[in-house]
Amino acid sequence: MNDSPVIEMRGVAKSFGSKAVLRGLDMSVSAGQTFALLGRNGAGKTTAIRTLLGLLKPDAGEIRVLGLDPAHAPLEVRRRVGYVAEDQTMFGWMRVGQLMSFIAPFYPTWDATWARELSERFELPQKTRMKHLSKGQQVRVALLLALAHRPQLVVLDDPTLGLDPIMRKEFLRDLVTYLQGERVTVFFSSHLLYEVEPVADAVVILDHGRVVRQAATEDLRASVKRLVAGTEGAEVLRGLPGLLDFSDHGRQVSAVVQDIASARPVLANAGIAAQEIDLNLDEIFEAYVIGRTKERPDAKPDLERVA
Amino acid sequence: MPSLIWKEWHEQSWKLGFGCVVLVAMAVIGLRSRIIADDSMIAWVCFLGMVLLPVLSASGLVPAERSEGSFASLLALPVSRWRILAAKTAMGLVLCAGPMIAAALGSLLVAGGREMTSAQMLALYARSTASGILLFIWMLALTIRLPNETRASLLGIGVLIFWIVATLGLAYQSVPPLAMTVSPLALVYGFFNDIAGGPPLIGVLAAQIAIAIVSWWWASRQIAAEDRS
Repeated sequence: MNDSPVIEMRGVAKSFGSKAVLRGLDMSVSAGQTFALLGRNGAGKTTAIRTLLGLLKPDAGEIRVLGLDPAHAPLEVRRRVGYVAEDQTMFGWMRVGQLMSFIAPFYPTWDATWARELSERFELPQKTRMKHLSKGQQVRVALLLALAHRPQLVVLDDPTLGLDPIMRKEFLRDLVTYLQGERVTVFFSSHLLYEVEPVADAVVILDHGRVVRQAATEDLRASVKRLVAGTEGAEVLRGLPGLLDFSDHGRQVSAVVQDIASARPVLANAGIAAQEIDLNLDEIFEAYVIGRTKERPDAKPDLERVA
Repeated sequence: MPSLIWKEWHEQSWKLGFGCVVLVAMAVIGLRSRIIADDSMIAWVCFLGMVLLPVLSASGLVPAERSEGSFASLLALPVSRWRILAAKTAMGLVLCAGPMIAAALGSLLVAGGREMTSAQMLALYARSTASGILLFIWMLALTIRLPNETRASLLGIGVLIFWIVATLGLAYQSVPPLAMTVSPLALVYGFFNDIAGGPPLIGVLAAQIAIAIVSWWWASRQIAAEDRS
C-alpha cells in the first residue's frame, strides 16, 4: 500500500461570517488506520469533515484526500470515499432496496454482491420504507451505502449520534468487523470517548478549530499522565513542561502533563516524588480541552486511581 | 442523471396526476355544460394551470426536500449540483406542461372547432403553458434557498401577484410597449390584447427564453454555493 497519507490537512482555515470555525488545522491520516477526530460540540469536527469531502471550501490551507484536492475535485473524492453524515436523513419514501438502486449508479465501483451481503449481515429489510426503519437500522443503511462501493476511505461523522447505548455498541462492532478487517482507512468523529477508545488506532483532539494533539492512541495513553504529589511539589508541578491541567486539593496537588518522559527529569531534579496515574481517553481529552493550568479549587481529583 | 430523474418522478408524480385531474375535469365539465363561452372557459382553465402548477412545482422541488432533511444527503452524493438542479427543473417542466397538455387534449375532444377553432384553442394553451413554465423558472430561482414548502409557496404566490399587477402596469399606454417583454405573462396578455407597437411574438419569446436562462443560471449558482462558501 502507498505510504502517502490518505488524508492530509495543512493550515486549513474556515470561517462562517465573523465566526472562525477552523483555525489552521493540521492533521495526517495514514492508510489502514482507524482514526478518531475528537472534539466537543462546536469544535469544528463536522466542518473539518465537510471540507475533506469538498462540501465546504476552505478559506485557506491545503487538503489532500487520497491524493486529490477536494476543493477542485469534489466529485472524484466523494466517489472514492464512503461517507456517513451526522444525523443523516435519507429519502423517507424509498424502500431500502430502492435506495440501494438509487445510490448505486453514482459510484462506478459499486459492488452489488457486496451490497446484498452487507444488507443481509446488517439484517436490513429490503422492502421497508426508510421512514419506517428504526434509528439504528437507518444508521446501518447509511453505513451500507458508504461501504458498498468498496471505498478506500470511510468518513463517519458522529455516526452513533442518536442511537441508544446498545445500538452504539452494535454499530461499532460492525465497524470493527467490516472495516478494520478490510484494511479500509476509517476517519470518524465522535464525542463519546469511551466508544472511540477500543477501536481507534490514532486520535486527533480538536478544540476551537485547532488540533491540540494528534497521536496514536497507545502513545497518547503512554505519554499523558496525571501526577499527584504533596503540596510541597505544587510549584514544580505548575512549572512542568507540557502541563495540561493543575489542581490543588488541599493536602495534595495534581497535574496532567502531555509528555511524562520530559516531566520525569524535572521532578527528579527537584526531588519531588510524584505518583503517576494512567488516564483513559476521556480523561486525556478533558485535560486537553478543559484542562486548566492554574489553581482550581472546585476540581475533584480522581484520587481513587492513586495506586 | 436517470437516477435523479427517477427519484424526482417518484416524489412529484402525484402532483402531475393531481394537476391533470383538476385541469382536465375543469375543462371537460365546463365545456360540456356550456355555462360560459368556450374561450372564457378555456381562459379560466389556462389561468388556473398557470397559477397552480408553477407554485406547486417550484415549492415542492427544493424547499420541500430541504425541510424533510434529505436535500443535504442529495448534495453529498458524487454528482454535480447542476445535474441535481437539471433533474429537478426537468420534473418541474413536466409538472407545468403535462396537465396543460392533458387539458388541451380534453378541450379539443369536447369543444374543438365549436366556438373556437382548434388552432386558437391550442395557441391559448401553448401560450399559457409557456407562461407557466417561465413563472416556474422565476419561482425556482427565487425559492431555491428557502427552508420549507410553505415559505416557498407564499413567495411563489407573491411572484405571481407581482407579475399579474406588473403586467397590467406595463400594458399601460404611457409605458413603452417594449417593456412588456420582461413579463412572463406577456405571451398570454398578448393573446387577448394587442400590444400596439410592441415586439412580435418571436421577440417576446426570445426575450423570455433569455430571462429564463439567466434565472436558471442564477438558481444553479445559488445551489452550487450552498454550504460551500
